[in-house]
Amino acid sequence: MASIADFARAPAPTYHMARPPKTGLMDWLTTVDHKKIGILYGLSGLFYLLVGGLEALLFRIQLAVPDNDFLTGEQFNGLVTMHATTMVFLAVMPIIAAISNYFIPLMIGARDVAFPRMNAFSFWTFLFGSLLLNSSFLFGGAPNAGWFGYAPLTGSQYSGSGIDFWWTGLAMLAISSMVAGVNFIVTILNMRAPGMTLMRMPVLVWMILVIQFLLAFSFPPITVGLILLGFDRTFGTVFYQVSMGGDPQLWQHLFWLFGHPEVYVLILPSMGIVSEILPVFTRRPLFGHHAVIFSGVAIGFMGFGVWGHHMFTVGMGPIADAAFASTTAIVGIPTGVKIFNWLGTLWGGKITFPTAMLFAVSFIPMFTIGGLSGVMHSSPPIDLQQHNSYFVVAHFHYVLVGGALQGLFAGVYFYLPKITGKLLSEKLGKVHFWVFLAGMNLTFFPQHFLGNHGMPRRIYTYPADAGWNTDNMLGTIGVILMATATLVMVYNILTSWKKGKPAGNDPWDASTLEWMTTSPPPVHNFDFTPVVLSERPLWDHKRTPGFEIPVPETSESIHMPSNSWRPMLISVCILLIMVGLLTHLWPLCIVAALGIVAGVYLWVTEPA
Amino acid sequence: MHTDAAPHRPSPSLATWLIACLSLLGAFALSGCDKPTRDVYQPVADSAEISAWFYHLVLAVDAVILAIVVTILVVAIVRFRKKPGDEELPPQSFGNMKMEVAWTVIPTLIVIGITVPTLGGIFELARKPDLNQKIIEVEVTGKQWWWEFDYAKEKLNTANELHVEVGTQVILNMTSADVIHSWWVPRIGGKRDANPGRRYPFYFRPYQVGTFDGQCAELCGASHALMGTRVIVHPKTGADSYEAWVAREQQQAQKPATPQQEAGQKVFMTKGCVACHTIRGVSELAVGARSRTSGPNLTHVGGRTSIAARTLPMTAQNIAKWVKNPQAVKQGALMTNLGLSDEEAAAVGAYLASLK
Ligand code: HEM
Ligand SMILES: [Cu+2]
Repeated sequence: MASIADFARAPAPTYHMARPPKTGLMDWLTTVDHKKIGILYGLSGLFYLLVGGLEALLFRIQLAVPDNDFLTGEQFNGLVTMHATTMVFLAVMPIIAAISNYFIPLMIGARDVAFPRMNAFSFWTFLFGSLLLNSSFLFGGAPNAGWFGYAPLTGSQYSGSGIDFWWTGLAMLAISSMVAGVNFIVTILNMRAPGMTLMRMPVLVWMILVIQFLLAFSFPPITVGLILLGFDRTFGTVFYQVSMGGDPQLWQHLFWLFGHPEVYVLILPSMGIVSEILPVFTRRPLFGHHAVIFSGVAIGFMGFGVWGHHMFTVGMGPIADAAFASTTAIVGIPTGVKIFNWLGTLWGGKITFPTAMLFAVSFIPMFTIGGLSGVMHSSPPIDLQQHNSYFVVAHFHYVLVGGALQGLFAGVYFYLPKITGKLLSEKLGKVHFWVFLAGMNLTFFPQHFLGNHGMPRRIYTYPADAGWNTDNMLGTIGVILMATATLVMVYNILTSWKKGKPAGNDPWDASTLEWMTTSPPPVHNFDFTPVVLSERPLWDHKRTPGFEIPVPETSESIHMPSNSWRPMLISVCILLIMVGLLTHLWPLCIVAALGIVAGVYLWVTEPA
Repeated sequence: MHTDAAPHRPSPSLATWLIACLSLLGAFALSGCDKPTRDVYQPVADSAEISAWFYHLVLAVDAVILAIVVTILVVAIVRFRKKPGDEELPPQSFGNMKMEVAWTVIPTLIVIGITVPTLGGIFELARKPDLNQKIIEVEVTGKQWWWEFDYAKEKLNTANELHVEVGTQVILNMTSADVIHSWWVPRIGGKRDANPGRRYPFYFRPYQVGTFDGQCAELCGASHALMGTRVIVHPKTGADSYEAWVAREQQQAQKPATPQQEAGQKVFMTKGCVACHTIRGVSELAVGARSRTSGPNLTHVGGRTSIAARTLPMTAQNIAKWVKNPQAVKQGALMTNLGLSDEEAAAVGAYLASLK
């Protein structure tokens, strides 16, 4: 019978490059290798996960007891704003970017992404944007108008310079995401291995494809919104100024037209990861593979038509409310389809429970709880009570922490051995899982009660007699558990990277292409381009006669992209434009803009 | 395969897990147990009642769905766990069209079942009240960080505490003088945003006499947490009736009765308070009632139960504390610190507290 050992027979390819490769730090700074960029994204995401967690820990200390004065209102608002902004844009999205970068080319049997230098540009623009945003802590205070930064609170008469860091930083992240979106759409549509039709593509690749469309189409509205805000704050325009005929509601529409697709950007990859992991550890195919893909696509499409459900209290009028209530409720249907297909995959399998599987399985009920409370606030009469209360906080943490983050944790335990070549410790993994699960439920379940008992979100203090004391205390204890569990994971990653058990090419006996190459994979990913004969190419190679992946006798000749510092040059110039806008140093903006023109010229004329 | 060195030793981790699980269960048992004073699901007005009705409908549906999902999940995990040594592959099923159809159609029916009544609820909440009946109509303006209530027909203006009558339809016209606020008194009804430059109505009819608390629900700056409000639902008749309250509020302010109150009134008149505050019968210089800078009308401030948007209980001492240093009570408060001496602050406190 065929096995993955067969692939070692293939002769190593010869490759030619425009310039000799770099080494050490210079290599990391100028890399265009999707795997290295993936690692950079992953490390940044992990770092910001800890930062965002620390911010949460601080404001949970403030909320542990009533009438506390550990933080002032201003500091608290800064921490909640930065916690959410960090978790969404600097932790979860980069970890998703890490997995997409590292694994999309591997899963579709490609050598790299379509535009390797654009990929590097996305990363550096993200990194500089994130540093700009966080530098606000050092220069005049963090942004403090909430992660959705409602106008006119973000206006210069109500908020300080933190908001300038916020809009410039977010604008850079938006540029990074839109560019990455285009890059990955082209990669997935054009660079699949021969035989990998769209319906043979792994579900994770499908979900990443969907979110790249969401990124490419949902970031433009918020970018426009941010630029209008920037103009209001920097040049004194009045887009959001009521007294001068502007309209703050414009911001809300632009923001949520981005914001709702964005929540699917955060969840769909985790749904994809779960859809990859469940089959591996039940030893059977994903139940209703096509239905899972179609429902993911449907969720992505519908995600653009529901933004008004964040605005039921605004006073859009009953007709608009009715329309958004209906579209929102409909999104629940494809979501339900996915859940039942995952259950169908488990049913009748032979299930084992390594840590990756524990997280993937617990994703199902935790996400379901969040989805069901989402169905509740799709109904405006209910939502008028729940909106901006802790009930909504509970909802989105069940979908984001119980859903998106647990899915990504599952992905860490499942995929990291491919990156490091070492298995993570299962023992520490299980500690991580159970402590985290306990902590998250302890924090977020009682928040349903807090919301029902009238506690609004984003209040820095509360009176002792409102009946919110116990649930808040539980929440703080839960956050301490989650923080501990996350540190266990970080320790696990670091120690296993150094001295974990070797993983081998295919530690889980999996079915997709990324497991046919070595762990870690060589620079060129595969010694030969695999031919895909089914939707489970590696599984069938190992088990189904007639479906073996053919191993060529002759060595392939491949062109590998060379290191380049030009992408980073353009990112630095964008950063300098933002700094110029922040400090009103207009000459700096002009010089940096010219730098971009020069950078683009250098980029397009550079031999790749 | 390596062998387990001591398979029969009682595992210490089991006890640890048991303790952990029990304490966790204990913690959960505590959750939601404090006695809430602002329970959304103990409505005292029709608006909150509609919300509560829909909540319970969807809660029931959700509970059934969650129970089904969790049951299938638990049974699957228990039944289909791989037995040690069993290396045979399970049946390789790729799906089942009938089941796909079932779990598309059933959720669709559920969604229809929830959405159709919801549409009714939306229009019910937005239905204009019958203008031929008695109506209390109040202009509500959110300001950093307090609420102004202007009763145009009754020609009275008060702050933070809304007075209404049991059984009488109320219309609140919500707006804001600065950033977006959101008025939320959970037992009265869902929140409504107070948007600058817009004016949206919120209708409700209270059916229970009492005092009900709430607060701003849209992040509005440093002291968002200290932007409380309170609804006092009066009975129709008696000394505590709504009409009696209106009659009291319509009177001019009381005259100072003690030398200290007299001194307090003088401080009020001379130290700059009048630039922002009105006391009818004393000073009505304050600029544009609904402008961002004007402060609460103080004509009957002593008749309120709290000061600074429910931040402190109404006492002469608390007023003194507030006027001495408003920002110490409420970070960023837009009231100027007028640099009053302790004595002046105490006098103003005594005077204002007497304005019942
Ligand atoms: C069945 C699916 C879902 C439905 C019907 C749904 C519905 C809603 C609704 C109506 C709101 C607005 C609540 C309010 O502010 O009053 C909301 C808020 C939110 N939802 Fe969902 N949701 C669903 C799934 C998700 C998923 C999958 C995610 C992300 C992974 C998500 C993330 C969020 C977030 C972050 C917010 C709050 C944003 C904020 O106010 O800061 N939701 N959801
Ligand atoms: Cu949404």
